[in-house]
Amino acid sequence: MDCCVVTGAPPAWAHFRFSLGSGMGAWMNRAATELRGNDELAAVMGSVAGGDRGAFRILYQRTSAKLYGICLRLLGSEAEAQEVLQDAFVTVWRSAAQFDPAKASAITWLSVVARNKAIDRLRQRRPAGEDIDAAAEVPDDSPLATAVIEQEDDARRLAHCLEQLEDRSRAMIRAAFFDGASYPELAEREGVPLGTMKSWIRRGLLRLRGCLEQ
Amino acid sequence: MTDQRDIPDERDVAAEYALGVLSGDELREARKRAASDAEFALAVARWRGRLAPLGAEVEPVAPPQSVWMKIERAIPERPGEASNVIALRRRVSLWRGATAGMTALAATLAGVLVLQPRAEPPVVQQPAGTPMVAMLSDEQKRMKVMASWNPGSRQLVLAVASDMPADPSHAHELWVIPAGGKPRSLGTMGSAKQMHMRLADAIATLMENGATVAISVEPPGGSPTGAPTGPVIAAGALTKA
Repeated sequence: MDCCVVTGAPPAWAHFRFSLGSGMGAWMNRAATELRGNDELAAVMGSVAGGDRGAFRILYQRTSAKLYGICLRLLGSEAEAQEVLQDAFVTVWRSAAQFDPAKASAITWLSVVARNKAIDRLRQRRPAGEDIDAAAEVPDDSPLATAVIEQEDDARRLAHCLEQLEDRSRAMIRAAFFDGASYPELAEREGVPLGTMKSWIRRGLLRLRGCLEQ
Repeated sequence: MTDQRDIPDERDVAAEYALGVLSGDELREARKRAASDAEFALAVARWRGRLAPLGAEVEPVAPPQSVWMKIERAIPERPGEASNVIALRRRVSLWRGATAGMTALAATLAGVLVLQPRAEPPVVQQPAGTPMVAMLSDEQKRMKVMASWNPGSRQLVLAVASDMPADPSHAHELWVIPAGGKPRSLGTMGSAKQMHMRLADAIATLMENGATVAISVEPPGGSPTGAPTGPVIAAGALTKA
């Protein structure tokens, strides 16, 4: 009932989460009914947001292998992947309240947090030519606070739309996703001019967007 | 072999940033933009979500036990403690971005503010306090309403973003919540994109720095209890303009 009683300075926000259950407007109702499949993990996330360390442990047990796999694939180094995984879960603990089950499945949200951290790490360790402070200067933007995440069947749609791309565009987008390679690295790897690589990927991304938004 | 000519003029920087292919200056700029431009940040987040299903192809690998022990040592007692300040700072920077992105809205509002004193006789007996603004944004930090408070004329001007959710079966009720106090209703909102209301003295005194302005979803006609009964769909703190 007292969804708006504000007790401290900033927490007007905190009440959003807890107000979802009561007297929902149609707008929120619609969002909430989209919640499916990952209810259980989402519920665990909810407890984590409330500061439940036991729930956090369960979350870690269920998802850490997935996230570690992603970090390891991107970074190629176990030591670094473990550091990034640690960092990712600390971030998850701190910002679990930003997770919105109506917008994303928990595993998607967690994967994005881990991948962002791993990419940040990759860009930080780039030496030659690229300024190191590019990575250090600006903190990463909030992992997924504002994300409008696609639902599960969108995995199929993404696969379908990737299929529509030219082979090389698709291959390079995949390489960028899985290896965390930047434009210059991909160009070097493929032995093509930087402009060519940019062209392949930009064109691919635009087509991908067109297909996904259909 | 292709060259620069083949780079399409059109590009989706949010997609490139989300995919992670940017480096150097381009990366730096994208990061800054993501931190200050709410619309761009949303586009990036949307792309991250679009691409995320690819992650399902990655084989899970169990991390060593030591990682969990380090995490447990590293986390604060409660999740909110360390992050509130950061979240707030982030929100402020997103607001700034949103404000910049809503130039038309801001211009309209400025027009209203300029025109308003002419419509009203100048109020001399009122001690002129500091004008204040509140950016009301939703849970996803998208700015929904910009509220501007002029204590001199006791005028509250609201500029509503075009994507404000509308639902004819419910009313949107506007509240002011003084720091540490209970919500007081300012009334229900119509469907206009721009509104001004003149507040009663008793309510006007609540419009202080640090008070929260919020919008809740209520039955038609407003909350039957005098307190918010439905979810808050947008909120923001009053700060000196």
